[in-house]
Amino acid sequence: MQSLILTTATRLLVALLLVFSIYALLRGHNLPGGGFIGGLIGATGFILYVIATSVSDARSALRADPANIAMLGVGIAAFSGIMGAFAGDAFLTGQWLFLFAAEGEKGLPLSSVLVFDVGVYLAVFGGILTLVFAMEEEI
Amino acid sequence: MSWILVNPILIPLVTAVLAYLFRTSPAGRWISVAGTVVLLFASLIMMGEVLEHGVIAGQMSNWQAPFGITLVADYLGGVMVVITAITAMATVIYTLAEIPERLERLGFHALLQVLVAAVCGAFLTGDLFNLYVWFEVMLISSFGLLVLGGSKEQLDGGIKYVTLNLVSTIMFLSGIGLLYGITGTLNMADLHLAVREVENTGLLTTIAVMFMVAFGVKAALFPLFFWLPASYHTPPVAVSAIFAGLLTKVGVYALIRSFTLIFDQDVAFTHTILLWLAVATMVTGVLGAAAMNDFRRILSFHIISQIGYMVLGLALFTPLGLVGAVFYLVHHIIVKANLFFVAGVAKRIGGSTDLSRLGGLYAHAPVLAFLFLIPAFSLAGFPPLSGFWAKYVVVKAALDLEMWFVAGVSLAVGLLTIYSMTKIWGAAFWPKHPDGIKPRLGDLPAGERVALMAPIVGLAVLTCIIGLFPEPFVHFAETSAEQLLDPTAYVTTVLGVQP
Amino acid sequence: MADDYPKVDRVMGGASGWFSIALPAVLFLYFLGLVPQIAEAPQVRGIEWVPSLGIGLSVLLDGLSLTFALLITGIGTAVTLYSARYLGQHPDYPRFVAYLMMFMVGMLGLVLAGNLISLFVFWEVTTIASYLLIGFNADSAKSRRSALQALLVTGTGGLILLAGMIVLGTVAGSFELVDILSQGDMLREHPWYLAILLLFLAGAFTKSAQVPFHFWLPNAMAAPTPVSAYLHSATMVKGGVYLLARMNPGLGGTEAWFWILTLFGGVTAVFASVMALRQTDIKQVLAYTTLMALGTLTMFIGAGTHYAIMAAMLFLVVHSLYKAALFLMIGIVDHATGTRETGVLGGLSKAMPLTGLAAALAAVSMAGIPPMVGFIGKEFMYKAGLGLGGFGAIWVTVMIFAASVMMFVVAGIVAWKPFRGELRETPHAAHEGPWPMLAGPLGLGALSLIFGLFPGVLAHYFVGPATHAVFGEVREVHLYLWGGINMALILSLLTFLAGWLMYRRHEAIRHRLIRIEQGSRVNFDAGWDRVLDGLKALAAWQTRLIQTGNLQTYMAVIFASFTVLVGTTFLLRGGMGSGINYEADGVHPIQWTVLALIAMGAILATITSSRMTAVAALGVVGIGVALIFIMFSAPDVAITQLLVEVLVVVLVALVMLRLPHLPVRSASGFRAGHAAIAAAFGILSTLVMIAVLQTPFDRRLTDFFEIASWPEAHGRNIVNVILVDFRATDTFGEIVVVVMAAVGAYALLRGAPGAKPTPEDEEPVQVAAADKGEKV
Repeated sequence: MQSLILTTATRLLVALLLVFSIYALLRGHNLPGGGFIGGLIGATGFILYVIATSVSDARSALRADPANIAMLGVGIAAFSGIMGAFAGDAFLTGQWLFLFAAEGEKGLPLSSVLVFDVGVYLAVFGGILTLVFAMEEEI
Repeated sequence: MSWILVNPILIPLVTAVLAYLFRTSPAGRWISVAGTVVLLFASLIMMGEVLEHGVIAGQMSNWQAPFGITLVADYLGGVMVVITAITAMATVIYTLAEIPERLERLGFHALLQVLVAAVCGAFLTGDLFNLYVWFEVMLISSFGLLVLGGSKEQLDGGIKYVTLNLVSTIMFLSGIGLLYGITGTLNMADLHLAVREVENTGLLTTIAVMFMVAFGVKAALFPLFFWLPASYHTPPVAVSAIFAGLLTKVGVYALIRSFTLIFDQDVAFTHTILLWLAVATMVTGVLGAAAMNDFRRILSFHIISQIGYMVLGLALFTPLGLVGAVFYLVHHIIVKANLFFVAGVAKRIGGSTDLSRLGGLYAHAPVLAFLFLIPAFSLAGFPPLSGFWAKYVVVKAALDLEMWFVAGVSLAVGLLTIYSMTKIWGAAFWPKHPDGIKPRLGDLPAGERVALMAPIVGLAVLTCIIGLFPEPFVHFAETSAEQLLDPTAYVTTVLGVQP
Repeated sequence: MADDYPKVDRVMGGASGWFSIALPAVLFLYFLGLVPQIAEAPQVRGIEWVPSLGIGLSVLLDGLSLTFALLITGIGTAVTLYSARYLGQHPDYPRFVAYLMMFMVGMLGLVLAGNLISLFVFWEVTTIASYLLIGFNADSAKSRRSALQALLVTGTGGLILLAGMIVLGTVAGSFELVDILSQGDMLREHPWYLAILLLFLAGAFTKSAQVPFHFWLPNAMAAPTPVSAYLHSATMVKGGVYLLARMNPGLGGTEAWFWILTLFGGVTAVFASVMALRQTDIKQVLAYTTLMALGTLTMFIGAGTHYAIMAAMLFLVVHSLYKAALFLMIGIVDHATGTRETGVLGGLSKAMPLTGLAAALAAVSMAGIPPMVGFIGKEFMYKAGLGLGGFGAIWVTVMIFAASVMMFVVAGIVAWKPFRGELRETPHAAHEGPWPMLAGPLGLGALSLIFGLFPGVLAHYFVGPATHAVFGEVREVHLYLWGGINMALILSLLTFLAGWLMYRRHEAIRHRLIRIEQGSRVNFDAGWDRVLDGLKALAAWQTRLIQTGNLQTYMAVIFASFTVLVGTTFLLRGGMGSGINYEADGVHPIQWTVLALIAMGAILATITSSRMTAVAALGVVGIGVALIFIMFSAPDVAITQLLVEVLVVVLVALVMLRLPHLPVRSASGFRAGHAAIAAAFGILSTLVMIAVLQTPFDRRLTDFFEIASWPEAHGRNIVNVILVDFRATDTFGEIVVVVMAAVGAYALLRGAPGAKPTPEDEEPVQVAAADKGEKV
C-alpha cells in the first residue's frame, strides 16, 4: 500500500489527528472529549500511518515502545491518585490549582484530575498501538 | 483509613508498571519479588486495623458514599487480602525458578502483579460496579498469563477461559444495570438498605439469581464450570497455582458478599438454589477428579468440588455454615496453590504431570513426598490438618439443620477426595518411574531448588499451623460470620451513618 | 520378606532406631506408674484446643484406656526393638520409624482422648499411618493396592463415624466423653439413637474388620511383619473394639446393640476361624485369627453382661500377648528361612530352639491350654456365654466353641507343625534369630504364662478397672485358673478333643475349603475391585458427558442454565409484578429505525457464514448503539463507542483477511437448539428489562452528580467528571484493562515463535481422549 499521495496526506493527517486528540484531551472536563477519546483519536492517527507506510516506520516515528507508553500511562494515573496523599486526601482526590482566577471564577485550572486524564490518554493510546503493531508484524 | 485500603491495590499496580518497564533486565523480576513483600506488609497492617476496628472503610476521591467509590475491609475482606498477598509472594518466588526469561520479557511479572491487584481490588471494593471493573482486570490479566508463551494447548484453554468468563461478566454487568434500575445505587452497603425499599421483591429475587449465575461461572459452580478444567492445566505451574488459589475464590467471595449483604431478602428461595448447586458441584467436581489421570487435571477438578463445600456453607446460611465457608476459603487457597507447586516440582524432576509418565518421587524425593502429603491429606480432610476443620464445620452445620442427605453427600465427596489424592500418590510417588528416571531434588541447581521449595515449605507450615492450632482461625471465622450475617457495622462504617 | 534392598550400614537402625525403642519404653514405664492410682479412681485431665467448637484435648484415664495404653507402648517397645534389627538396614528405615511413631502417638491419642472429636482426630491419624505402613514396600503393586484398600475401607467408616459423633455430640450437648457417657438413659431413649448407633458401628466395624468389611485386613499383611504384629493385630484394629467398649455405657445395653454386635461378632469369629484353616501362608493364618479375635471381642461387648465385658477385657489382653508374639515369631522364621508356607516348614526347633520356645508359649495360650492365661480367657468366655439368657446364650456359646476349636487347630498349624519332625529344606538355611528379635516374642510369651499363674494381678490392675470402665458400675472381678468342675471346664475339654481331632485332619479340611472357596461366587476382595471399577466408570462417564471439550456446547449450557434458573425464578417469584403495562409511546420513529437497524445487524451476524459479514454486521450493531447514546445526549459515550467500533472492525478485518474462510460446522439440529436457547434468553431479558423499567427510578446519584459536578468537581462535562473524579477508581481499573489487553495480546502474538496461532483450532478433545487409557 505504498502510495505517494496516501503517504503525504497521511503525514498531514497524523499531525492533525494528534493535535486534535490533545485538544480533545484538554477540553474533556467541560466539553465532550477527555483522555479516553483523545487516546483513541491519537491512536487512529498512528494506525493510519501504519497503513500508509509500515510498522517499522511508525515505530521509529513514535520513538518509544507503545507498550511502555501505555504502562507509563497507568503509572501517571496512579501518580495523580497518589498526589492526593500530599494534601492528606484519599486516593484519586482531585487537587486543584486555579491560576489567574478572579473571584468566583475558576481561571486556568490545573489539576491532578488532568494528570489522571493524561494517564488515561497515554494508556489508551499506547495500548491500542501495541496491539495494532503486534498484529501487523506477526500476522 | 483510605490509604491503608488502597495500598493492597496500588502496590501491585505500581510494581506492575515498574516491572514492565524493566522487563528486559533481571531488575524486573526482583521488583516483582519486592512488590509482593511490600504488599504482604501492607496487607498485614491493614489486617491489624481491621482487627482493631472491626470494619474499616475509605472513600476514594473523597466523595462520600454512595456517590463515590468506597473501599472497605471487614474480617472476610481483610483476611482474603492477606491470603492473597501470601499466595502472591509464594508464587512470585516460585516463578524465579520456573518462568523462562523469554516470558519475562513479554511482561509476565506485570500481568501477574496486575492480577494480584485486581484480586485485592475485588476483595476490598464496596461498590458493585467497581467489583465489575476488578473482575475485568482480573479476567484480562489472567487471560494474558494463561496464553503467555502461546502453545497451542494454552491457546485452546485460553480461548475457552476468556469466552466463558466474558459471558459471566456480561451477565454480571446486566445484573448491575438492572439492580441499579430498581434501586438507584451501586454502593453495596447502600444496596443493603435500598433493596429493603424495593416493592417488586420477585424482580429483586430474579436479579439475585442473575448474579448467582454470573458469580457461579466465576466460582466454577455446576453446571457453569467448564472453563476451569479446560484451561488450568495448560499454563506454567506458577500460573496454575495462583489461579487455583485465587480466581475461583473471588467468585466465591462475590457470592458470599452479595448473598449476605444484598440478596438476603428471599433466603428460602435463593439459598436453596445455592444449596443444590453446591451439592451438584461437589459431586461432579470430585467425580471429574476421580476420572482424570494427570496431576494438574486432578487438582483442577478438585477445586470445583471444594468450591461446592464453600458455597454449601453459604447456602446453609447459619453462623456455623458461614464459619465453614470462610474457613474453607482460607484453607483452600493455601492448600491448593501448594499442591500445584508440588505438581510443578514433580514435573520438573519427574518430567511430566501425566500420572502414567511419573513415578519414583517417594523413593528419590522424600522431602517432596512429605511436603505433598501435608496439603494432599489436608485437602482430603484428614485431621489434624486444616482441611479437616473446614470439612468438619461445614458438615456439622449441615447436620445441625438436620440436612442428612447434604451432610452425607459432603462426607461421601470427602471419601472420593481421598481416593483421588491417593491416585496421585499411588502413581507419581510410590511406584518406580516408568522410564527409570530417578527424580531427585538434589539434581536441581541450588538456587532453583530454594525458589521452588521455599513456597511449598512455607505454605505447608501454614497448613499445619491452622490444623494444629485452629482456635484463633475458627474464632476469626466466627467473627467474620457474625459480620456477614449482621452487616450493621459494615453499613454504618461505609455510609458513615446509622442505618 | 526378601532382603533385596540395598543395605544401609546402621547398627540397630541408628539414631532413629534407638529413639523408636526408647520412646515407647519410656511411655510404657510412665503408664505403668499410673496403674495403681487409676485402678483406684479414673481421672480426667486436659487442655483446651478449639473451645469455639467445643473440642478439647482432654484425657480420660481409666482402666480401659490405661490397659490399652500399656498394650500400645508395651508391644510397641517389643516391636520397635524387633524392627530395629529386622529393618534397621533398610534405606527407608527412618521413614518407617517416623510412620510407626506417628501411628503410636495416634493410637495413644485415640485411646486416651476424652473428647469425641479429638478421638476422631487420632482415629484418622492411625488410618493414615496404617496406609503409609502397608504401602511401605512401595515398589510392589500388591502393597499399594492393599494400602489403598485399607485406607478407603477404614476411611469410609471414619467419615460415617464422624457424622455419628457430630450427631451424638449435638444430642448430648457436649463432645466430652464424660458428659456423654453419663447420659446413657437419655441417649437410649432418643429418637435418633438407632441412627447414631448405626453410624458408630459403621466406624467401629470397618476399623475392626468385622464381616462384611473384613477383607482389607488380610490384605494389609502386605506390610512388613512388625507392622502386622503391631497395627493389624495388637492395636489399631482393636480401635473399633475400643470405641465400642468406650461407648458401651452411653449406647450399649439395648436390644439393637446386643443383637447387632453379637451377630456380626459371632459370624466374624467363626468365618475368620474357618478362613484361617484354609490359608497356607502362616502370616495369613494369623491375619484371619486376628479377625476371629476381633469378632469375639465385638460379640462379648455386645453381650453386655458383667461377665461378658470381663471376658472381653480379659481376652483383649490375652490375644494381644499371644498374637503379637506369634507374628513376631513368624517374622523371624521368614527372615531366617525365606518362607512362611506351612507345607514347606518343618523341624525348625533344632535350628531355632528359642524361636520355637516363643512360638510354643504363645500357641499354648492361643489354644487355651492351662496354665497359660489363654485358658482363663477361654473359660471366662464360656462362662459369659452360658450366663446369657435365651437364644443369646446358645448363639454366643456355639460361636465361641466353634472358634475355640479352630484356634486350637491353628495353634498346631503355626507353632507345632513347623517346629516338629525332621528339618525341612527352605530357601535359606534356618538359623536362630538375633536377640533383639527374640526378646519381644519371648517376653510376651512369658507374660502369657505369668498372668496365667498369677491371674490376680491381671484382675486387680487391668481387667478389673477396664471392666469397670466399660460396664459402668463397680463389681468385683475375680480371675482364677481352677474353678472346679463346671460346664465351662467341660466345654474346654470338649474343645481340646474336637480340636485335636480336627488338627489331625486339617490338611484334608484345607483342601476341601479351597475347593469350596473356588466354587463360591462370593468374593469380597473381587467385589471391592468391582465397586472401584464401577466408580471409575461412573466418573469417566460423567466427565466425558460434562467436559466435552467443545466451546459451543459449554456456551449453550451456560446460557441455558441462566435462562432456566433466572426464568424459573422470574415466574415463580412473580418478577413481572402486576403484569406488563409498559407504554412504548415515548419512542420516536427515528429511534424505532435505529432499533430495527440494531436488530437486523444482530440477526445477520448470527446467520451469516462469512466472517467479514459477521464483523460488519456487528459494526452496524455498535454504531446503532452509538446512535442511541447520541439520542440520549451522551456524546462522550457515543464518540467513544464509535471510535472503538471502527477500530475493532478495522482490526478484526486486518486479522480476517489472513484467515481461511469459516465453514458452518454445526449440524442444523444443533443450531436449532442454540436458536431456541438464544430466543428464550432474549425474551427473558426483555421481560426482566420491562419489569425493571416499570419500577420507579431513584435518581439520587444522578441528581448529586448534576449538582456537584461544576461547583465541587470543577467540570461541566458530567460524564468526564464521573470518569476522572467521582468514579476515577473505575477508570483507573479500566485503563489497566486496556493496557493489559494490549500486553497480553502482544505477548500472545510474540510468544509463539514460528507458529501462527489459529484460535479456531480445537485442542484434540481433551477429557475423553486424554483419559481413555485409564489405569491406576
